[in-house]
Amino acid sequence: MLTRLSGGKVYDPVHGVNGEVRDVFIRDGRIVAPPPGGVKAGQDYELSGAVVMAGGIDIHTHIGGGKMTIARMLLPEDHSAHPVASGRITRSGSGLVTPSTITTGYRYAEMGYTACFEPAMLPLNARQAHMEMADTPIVDKGAYALLGNDDFFLRLLAEGREQALINDYVAWTLETSQALAIKVVNPGGISAFKFNQRMLDLDEEHCYYPLTPRLILQRLAQAVFDLGVPHPLHVHGCNLGVAGNVDTTLKTIAASDGLPLHLTHVQFHSYGTEGDRRFSSGAARIAESVNAHQNISIDVGQIMFGQTVTASGDTMAQHRNRASAYPKKWVCMDIECDAGCGVVPFRYRDKSFVNSLQWAIGLELFLLVKDPWRIFLTTDHPNGAPFTTYPHLIRLLMDKSYRNERLATIHRGAAAMSTLGSLDREYSLYEIAIMTRAAPARSLGLTDRGHLGLGAAADITVYKEHRDRERMFSQPRFVFKDGELVVKNGKVIKITHGGTHVARPDYDRGIERTLRPHLEKYHTLGWENRKLRDEEIAGEGRGRILIAKCTPRQAA
Amino acid sequence: MTPLTLTLRTRPAQEVDIGLLTPDGLQAMGRPAIEQIKLTCGNRSLRLHELFEVQGEDTSVIHIRRACDKLYGIGMAMSFGSISVQGRAGDDVGRNMRGGTIAVRGSAGHGTGRGMRGGYIEVQANTGDFLGGAEAGALEGMSEGVIIVSGDAGARVGDRMRRGIIYVRGNSGDYCGSRMKGGTILVLGQSGCYPGIGMRRGTIVFARKPAEISATFNSCGVLKMEFLRLLFRQLSNSYRKLALLRNIGPEAERFSGDLALGGKGELLVLHSAL
Repeated sequence: MLTRLSGGKVYDPVHGVNGEVRDVFIRDGRIVAPPPGGVKAGQDYELSGAVVMAGGIDIHTHIGGGKMTIARMLLPEDHSAHPVASGRITRSGSGLVTPSTITTGYRYAEMGYTACFEPAMLPLNARQAHMEMADTPIVDKGAYALLGNDDFFLRLLAEGREQALINDYVAWTLETSQALAIKVVNPGGISAFKFNQRMLDLDEEHCYYPLTPRLILQRLAQAVFDLGVPHPLHVHGCNLGVAGNVDTTLKTIAASDGLPLHLTHVQFHSYGTEGDRRFSSGAARIAESVNAHQNISIDVGQIMFGQTVTASGDTMAQHRNRASAYPKKWVCMDIECDAGCGVVPFRYRDKSFVNSLQWAIGLELFLLVKDPWRIFLTTDHPNGAPFTTYPHLIRLLMDKSYRNERLATIHRGAAAMSTLGSLDREYSLYEIAIMTRAAPARSLGLTDRGHLGLGAAADITVYKEHRDRERMFSQPRFVFKDGELVVKNGKVIKITHGGTHVARPDYDRGIERTLRPHLEKYHTLGWENRKLRDEEIAGEGRGRILIAKCTPRQAA
Repeated sequence: MTPLTLTLRTRPAQEVDIGLLTPDGLQAMGRPAIEQIKLTCGNRSLRLHELFEVQGEDTSVIHIRRACDKLYGIGMAMSFGSISVQGRAGDDVGRNMRGGTIAVRGSAGHGTGRGMRGGYIEVQANTGDFLGGAEAGALEGMSEGVIIVSGDAGARVGDRMRRGIIYVRGNSGDYCGSRMKGGTILVLGQSGCYPGIGMRRGTIVFARKPAEISATFNSCGVLKMEFLRLLFRQLSNSYRKLALLRNIGPEAERFSGDLALGGKGELLVLHSAL
């Protein structure tokens, strides 16, 4: 059946379409050319005055994997205080900061998002993470596999093995854990924490393996580049949350040596030590460096005031932050001697100097980084704030007077330390479409998503134009997922199941000869069970595998 | 005005949350409106009159007759008035209660007085585990109020308790007063193993020596503590049910603990028999 969306203002940055009134045609879940000879559409949506964009893509949101389950168990009060009743077609759930998987899917769709990516999946826990994501309806999903703190990799590095072997291991991990990209969390630091190191800077040596985070970072980035994985290495750097870590972040950018890197939740890595309180904004320096380095992309990890929970693989940072836990309970744990996990509930308060400045630093980053193709809108859900605050964040970016109003309500000392009040930039709808759609799709190598060109998947969001951008973005008029109308006036009306994006670069299977004895000797999961088969994801007809194309590159 | 009387017609097959049926929840509601209240029973939705026969109109005094253990959340978060229950009550009686009184003329389930912040609960027969305990995930249990149980209580009486008084006439289960931060627990019967495990502050008084005391409690010997006399006199004057405490002497063996967590709490084992 042919569906026509007529008369909407289309924002499609991939094709340079900036608010032009156009018709969009959908057939069989794809965007198609206007049929010749004026064939009558089976369904016609009259959208004059409405804004049409591709479906939103969240590049960094913790929606699956063990740590979310731990966060849910740690905060049952979040669930008893926020029950979600079942509807005519929707199922019940609970929770605000860590919603149930099913509720997560509905909420994302209701905001016009059609794809979400879990950034921290431990390969060993891949099965559980994928099962959780399979339980997240409507949206497409994908996961980044965590490497860089596992003993096998650290041993290869410490033994000085060649890059080709590391490339094979990275590719093997991507394939067996059904991941789309590779993420490194506090390179080497989670492992060092287990040897009682409580800090590990970029050039500091791990006390057991003779390695530095810089080396780990470079070798992994090289592997991802060589294999041609579309998304660059996703980096959660050293010294998260430490005052003065802006220098580490700048060094990390320099250490990339021209290789593409994605630095994630940079807001947490942009702190200086100026001022009486020895805590200041490093956003301007970071933005300057990001503007100058074309190979770097970032996402912000904006914080919002209110209760949330931080869940991270970075045991070192989470253990450091445990004293700030609110309510006063926290978990730090090892996972199978291969990585870590720390869950610390947080309440960001606008009366607190530090929290207020964090808020301002995030917004400064958004406004100072010039190229919207290289900065993505995230709150690092749920670490900075739950993803449901995105519409509010968009309003802060698009509306200067509103932003200054909010700035006047935060801690005065923090407001005085921030340059936020002097920044006049307001994001346009076109730029929002870039940073929430086109750019993440391009970065992740999703060639048929994030735009409205011919042949693209019909993931489309239609917003009713409204001066209050928060209202506009929190209640889309229509959301189409693969051509099917799933949300109408901000409410889910049809439940579908999205696909899982994966990357599968070629590699030499000879790596298994080295890997198998190691895993069988030290690990709990049997070799045969390590590989997550396609049928486990797509078997019940509720999902499918979408393979992103990898183009291997030869290292220069 | 006559008290609002809800008489259960038949025992429901599944549990029914009746947390809404409190003086607060029914305030200013007429009988027709009360009869139409929706209750969820398993996967069915029922009107209140299908489950209960309704009489009377004074919503500040509620009688629940022929109650059974499928009714849970009786008196949830209530702040005034009274509820009396004839028969058994399910779990979570007086959960998050702030004031008023609840009297159960039968036994009550688990979590009675969970997260209680004020008021008075009386149970004539036994209660389940976590009497005066904490809400799921909460760091503090009962933080004000009085609970009087005439029968036995289950395990973990006063788990994470912060303030208030719990009195158990009969026996109590294991881990009585676990993770306590304050308040007073009195157990006249036999208590199970490891009372006060993880406690930081607070007082647990036993009339008989508990089955086993954790190694993290240190005996300070038998002391003569005048405050016990004052405490018992005050309690026996205030609550009729506690009149039998009047003549209990001030000698008790004192155990301080939990030494793993500071050791500011105490277990007192009374010397003079009742």
